[in-house]
Amino acid sequence: MNILSDFNYYAPESKAEAFELIAKLGDKCKILAGGTDLLIMMKNGLIEPENIVDIGGIKEFAGIEMKDGKGGEIGACTKIADIENSAAVAGKYGALSHAAGEIGSPQVREMATLGGNSCHASPAAETPASLCAYGAKVVISSKDGDREMELKDFIQGNRQNDLKPGEVLTKFIIPEPKKKSACKYGHIGLRKAMEIDAVNMAVNIAVSDDGSVAEADLVMGSVAPRPLVLPDIKDILVGKKVTDDLAEKVGDAAQAAASPISDVRASAEYRKDVIRALAIRLVKEAYDAAKAA
Amino acid sequence: MKKQLITLTINDQDYEVAITPMDILADVIRREVQLTGTKKGCGEGDCGACTVIIDGKPELSCLKLAIACQGKKIRTIEGIADPKTGELSPLQKSFLDHGAVQCGFCTPGMIMSSTALLERNPNPTKDEIKKALSGNMCRCTGFVLIVEAIEAYVNAKAESGVN
Ligand SMILES: Cc1cc2nc3c(=O)[nH]c(=O)nc-3n(C[C@H](O)[C@H](O)[C@H](O)COP(=O)(O)OP(=O)(O)OC[C@H]3O[C@@H](n4cnc5c(N)ncnc54)[C@H](O)[C@@H]3O)c2cc1C
Ligand code: FES
Ligand code: FES
Repeated sequence: MNILSDFNYYAPESKAEAFELIAKLGDKCKILAGGTDLLIMMKNGLIEPENIVDIGGIKEFAGIEMKDGKGGEIGACTKIADIENSAAVAGKYGALSHAAGEIGSPQVREMATLGGNSCHASPAAETPASLCAYGAKVVISSKDGDREMELKDFIQGNRQNDLKPGEVLTKFIIPEPKKKSACKYGHIGLRKAMEIDAVNMAVNIAVSDDGSVAEADLVMGSVAPRPLVLPDIKDILVGKKVTDDLAEKVGDAAQAAASPISDVRASAEYRKDVIRALAIRLVKEAYDAAKAA
Repeated sequence: MKKQLITLTINDQDYEVAITPMDILADVIRREVQLTGTKKGCGEGDCGACTVIIDGKPELSCLKLAIACQGKKIRTIEGIADPKTGELSPLQKSFLDHGAVQCGFCTPGMIMSSTALLERNPNPTKDEIKKALSGNMCRCTGFVLIVEAIEAYVNAKAESGVN
């Protein structure tokens, strides 16, 4: 399969040059990072951009910085493979490390970027659930400066995000995990399932010294057009010790919130069962790991 | 759109090719440079037949714009055998010896993915080999013989003591 529409190709070398160019081209340009989503869209004729600005080679947009006690920052153009292979990321943000390792194939992970995964905003995307469960923010930059917002608000629906013409996603800022806390990621679906049948989920739990839950977050992917945050988990768990019963209550709440659809790949009933089971498992895993932390 | 001249460095040799921005690396390597060892199967990132090594990393040439590869070091299957004599590399021989090649369509991609693995990790476990090949599909061999061929190569190298 080939790309059938022609375009101008630009590869700016610095971020200043990129911001100028992207501002000038406005809505007539598409940003290319790793290209693993964009090229497929172009080959399928879903988009026919007049101009492509390749930001994949701009060093200022890539890199992993884990700060002692002060969270971490990951550049938008950091390759998924570099996140998967980073011991520093695995140590602090295990659920993100896990999710990164589940994307596509080794070759796809060498090409794909973290920023591309959130910007493409596929409902089934692998990394947004864990990033949202950690409370990650994104930095959106243009020649006029930077703005920050929560990742969960940045992703607005299938292939929709908050970027305006002239803007680039440049960085993820992830808060320092709470002292006795753990975040767990899980997914169920076909192998290499891209936009199909997968349910993915991240659960982040912090415990107090007496072993009761201090904070709890649950974010689901693939069950709605955008990452679905489950506020109920706080009402169910905070102040209590997790029991099988309580974990099942979270499972019920996740199932009720998700309202998945039936299609050729799986029935809504099947999906609901899977969501419930995954929520119960991850709540228990995260709670046990948080207590042991 | 008008074609433009770019230089691609493939297997340590510079090739000047006339392309448009929409030309895909896999097509340019096969048609313009006429190195047809690299295969194009699905064209969508799923099969791995088009795998080449770019700056040391295995990448899919079917999802890569050729114009984005200027200044990068590209290696294809043609760069694996001895450049002077054409003699197959020990890894390629191991594939032949273990029946890891049937129709051969997946083989260049398999060799490129395993070469990238072995350069990063000269003593991979079976699981590491399987993981490194998880993006390469083979419709003939059932994968077992391919993993065996790589394991045998790793073991032989360990025994001979050269790295
Ligand atoms: C075979 C295959 C398997 C895959 N499997 C998975 C999987 O299992 N899970 C999964 O989640 N994904 C999967 N993907 C999808 C894809 O690899 C990921 O979504 C990847 O992270 C996209 O990153 P990229 O850098 O390649 O994005 P690109 O294709 O470069 O860009 C994607 C979109 O985001 C925009 N964009 C990218 N970066 C920025 C930025 N910094 N600022 C503004 N806009 C930007 C682009 O304009 C484009 O619209 C798969 C893809 C393939 C080909
Ligand atoms: S041809 Fe590139 S992955 Fe199939
Ligand atoms: S040998 Fe035929 S596809 Fe692998």
